[in-house]
Amino acid sequence: MTRPAPLPVAEGTYPPTEDMLNEPVTSEEQDRGKAELRAAWKTPQGWRYISAVNNTEVGVWYALTAFGFMLLAGLLALAMRVQLAFPGNTFLDADRFNQFFTMHGSAMMFLFAVPMFEAISILLLPAFLGARDMPFPRLSAYGYWCFLIGGCFVMGSLLFDAGPKAGWFMYPPLATKEEGVGPDIWLLGLSFIEVASIAAAVELIVGALKCRPPGMRVNIMPLYAWYVTVVGGMILFAFPPLIAGDFLFELQRSFDWPFFDPERGGDPILWQHLFWIFGHPEVYIVFLPSIAIAAMIVPTVARRPIVGYSWIVLSAVGTGFLSFGLWVHHMFTTGLPQMSLGFFSAASEAVVIPTGIQLFAFIATLMVGRVKMTLPMLWIAGALAIFVAGGLTGVMLAIVPFNWQAHDTYFIVAHLHYTLFGGMVFPVIAGVYYFYPFFAKKLLSERLGRWAFWLIFTGFNVTFLPMHLTGLMGMPRRVFTYPESAGWGTLNLISTLGAFVIAAGFAVFVYDMLRPKSRQGQIPRNPWGAGTLEFAHDIPEEAWGVRSVPYITSRYPLWDQTDLVARMDAGRYYLADAPDHQRETIITSVIDAKPIYVQRVTGPAWITIWAAIFTGGAFIFPTFHIYKPAIVCGAFAVVCVMYWLWTSTARPPKDEMRAAGLGLRLPNYVSGPDAVGWWGMWITMLGDATAFASIVFGFFFYWTARPDFPPVDAGHAVGTWVAAAAVLGVLAWAATLLAREVNRRGKVMLARLALVIAPLSAAAAGGAAWLAVRDLDPVSHVYPAILWALMVWLTVHLCAGIIMQCYCLAGCIFGKVTPRHDADLRNVTLYWHFVALKVVVTTALLGLVPGWLP
Amino acid sequence: MTRITENEDAREFRSEAGSLWRITFGPLIWAVHFAASYGATALICAKGGTGFVEGLRLGIGIGTGVALVAIAWLGWQSWRQWDLLRDRDWENDQGTGEDRHQFLGHAAFLLAVISFIGVSYVALPVLLIGTCR
Repeated sequence: MTRPAPLPVAEGTYPPTEDMLNEPVTSEEQDRGKAELRAAWKTPQGWRYISAVNNTEVGVWYALTAFGFMLLAGLLALAMRVQLAFPGNTFLDADRFNQFFTMHGSAMMFLFAVPMFEAISILLLPAFLGARDMPFPRLSAYGYWCFLIGGCFVMGSLLFDAGPKAGWFMYPPLATKEEGVGPDIWLLGLSFIEVASIAAAVELIVGALKCRPPGMRVNIMPLYAWYVTVVGGMILFAFPPLIAGDFLFELQRSFDWPFFDPERGGDPILWQHLFWIFGHPEVYIVFLPSIAIAAMIVPTVARRPIVGYSWIVLSAVGTGFLSFGLWVHHMFTTGLPQMSLGFFSAASEAVVIPTGIQLFAFIATLMVGRVKMTLPMLWIAGALAIFVAGGLTGVMLAIVPFNWQAHDTYFIVAHLHYTLFGGMVFPVIAGVYYFYPFFAKKLLSERLGRWAFWLIFTGFNVTFLPMHLTGLMGMPRRVFTYPESAGWGTLNLISTLGAFVIAAGFAVFVYDMLRPKSRQGQIPRNPWGAGTLEFAHDIPEEAWGVRSVPYITSRYPLWDQTDLVARMDAGRYYLADAPDHQRETIITSVIDAKPIYVQRVTGPAWITIWAAIFTGGAFIFPTFHIYKPAIVCGAFAVVCVMYWLWTSTARPPKDEMRAAGLGLRLPNYVSGPDAVGWWGMWITMLGDATAFASIVFGFFFYWTARPDFPPVDAGHAVGTWVAAAAVLGVLAWAATLLAREVNRRGKVMLARLALVIAPLSAAAAGGAAWLAVRDLDPVSHVYPAILWALMVWLTVHLCAGIIMQCYCLAGCIFGKVTPRHDADLRNVTLYWHFVALKVVVTTALLGLVPGWLP
Repeated sequence: MTRITENEDAREFRSEAGSLWRITFGPLIWAVHFAASYGATALICAKGGTGFVEGLRLGIGIGTGVALVAIAWLGWQSWRQWDLLRDRDWENDQGTGEDRHQFLGHAAFLLAVISFIGVSYVALPVLLIGTCR
């Protein structure tokens, strides 16, 4: 059999010449293109509207939902402030107060800050990049529905007086021993939402790196895209440790495996490590994208390009790395060695440098520009003032002896609210004012905006500035009341009054945002005179994103590239039509944004909603220790996702090439590292590997922290079965790899045979891993428990791998996977590289390492 | 007119054509140095006992030296890539292969500087604190 011909690659002229761009487009051509694009991108009408997956719809729902949760969490805070207004107050009892502060923190972080970043990015990123949509719109929609279901579930627990009440970081042993379902709701509900966050991170990284318009090299992409890439990467390394921690925690809650129980060899400190390895980067995960909004607003306001673009890139990337070296500064009082505390103190001081650099870059831009004090700039100015104050108390808290004094007092409450309000809330509101004309096609009121600003700014400082003092006077956090003799009454009353001023400000803001604006008429297209692509939007609104995907040669194309907007509107650039009435966007190379291929983008679907509902069931039923329906839901969720992938992704195209415009012909299908699907898999697996590494970290943590790990008389995993699991697991990987290689060479039957052997071998490997630890009792001690946890983790990944292998086998038989169109098989092989790594590490930990430990 | 298949600047600026990873090498060295220092300290302080602390400090000192030299070398490489002295171009804001090449040099250079500072900071506790307690 001869080797199949390789897939075609891009051909034709690139970059376009000035003559080509000057050539007019006939009006028939323009009308045809518009009609085709409208048909392809039509938003579903009526009740079908909720099946939409377009980023402009999902992004708005996402943002409004996150904002709604923020208002609810704010109401909880108001109730707490009322309770604390006077000493000995009885407005809330201790139990309800505990639920409220736990849910206030959890909701602000998990239901507002992180989802808001995802919402804004999903909404805006394609517009910054002149792309039609995100690369995986259904994934965004799935993430949104997961978020909505999980968020309502977690928040709803308060209505039944069943909310978690151990604080937003759920420290064991308080949280492991807590009665009721509160901690289970927190663990499973929020894990569910974390999965949605990782989905968004995958989407945004691929979006920023692969969906830029032709010509937009990395040195001219909008700073927002840099920040999104960095933050997406941070989510991949920050959230998985928490997911791993949740996994261990829930195993303890449900099955009494003693991971955090010191009496049976566990250690509560492990939870603190896993939580804060997530928790500190999390602060920067919400800060960086918000400050990225400032990086978009400041040049517009200063009417000149940003000063120190490279410095801001340094700042984003540098902060992204350094923020992972800070987590122990939340644990300075846990008795770790002095030298270890020193490392984290030093890194906490070092992170100030890149954080400060970007603020100086903004100030420099404002100083050399001709500033017009618009409403968005007012909010940015407020943000900088508040954030700098919070940053300075952060520098104080990074110093170990001071931290010991201020630990767990209201000083911390003041510090964290200054950083989060200044670093997140204010810039996001600035962004709402700035981008409102883009996403709502209306303007917000200048007068109401100033009222909202001054109310929130004043109220904020009246509330939180006195808390520094309350804290230094010794008032601890999380107390539901205090005696009059403590002398904290006046300060607390001031804080409570301030909180109501903030609430009034938010009421003005919400009113301004939601009031009907039909009398406003049509607004100008680019009301702020911005230089970036989002303000090339269509007014009145069109669902296609951009009329044609432009060729970009400048950081501020609307300022520097004359005729750009006119040419975009005329359909002079790429993908100006949609002959097959399919949604498409253009995929380019990572560094230089050279066009590679045309990606078919998925359209409206109900299947994403069903997938989210079943995924929700799989997470929510176990909260109440109901497992059979949970398993059924999980299986249905898998079926939904498979159906959605099978019917609408990586199908061999009707035509191999597509005339993309300007003399360029692009392929409709690519496979391997050029394809966005491969990137999605690679990025997801990085996150997954991080979660696995966190459990492995747990294994070694127990060994260093506990003298009895493993216990002297402990039973170990059965060596023979461990070895069998290792051999069979590696065999399953090798068979998958073989299938990919022989399929590529056209030997289809051999590939199918390999794809039959591979899942059988993988199943046998899972069975062997189970047999290896079957006789150990995970309840008795943490050593057998962690061996079991590793086995469970491995087996789950083997099962997912088996499903993928069967999917490829079916694809191979039914013509979805062919020797030339092997994207699925290549993505699955990539998955199996990671599984092979897990097989090797897990079997080494089960079989070899216990013998080596001194 | 240029064909898309012929790449005018591939040869000259090939070095980073496929990847953004290069600019993160500096911070990655910081991360490895940080994790290794923290891990070694946790291990020695938990399992080693006081006799090993001097060895630990010496080891971290050597590791710091190696990390700083590596970062300095990366910084020198990226300084040359930035090529500031020849064209005095601080911004590199044109949509050309040359500006992209020099911009990545500039960013990598700045990241090397911050990583150098970070590694030095993290090594200070070992210099100043002589005990696990």
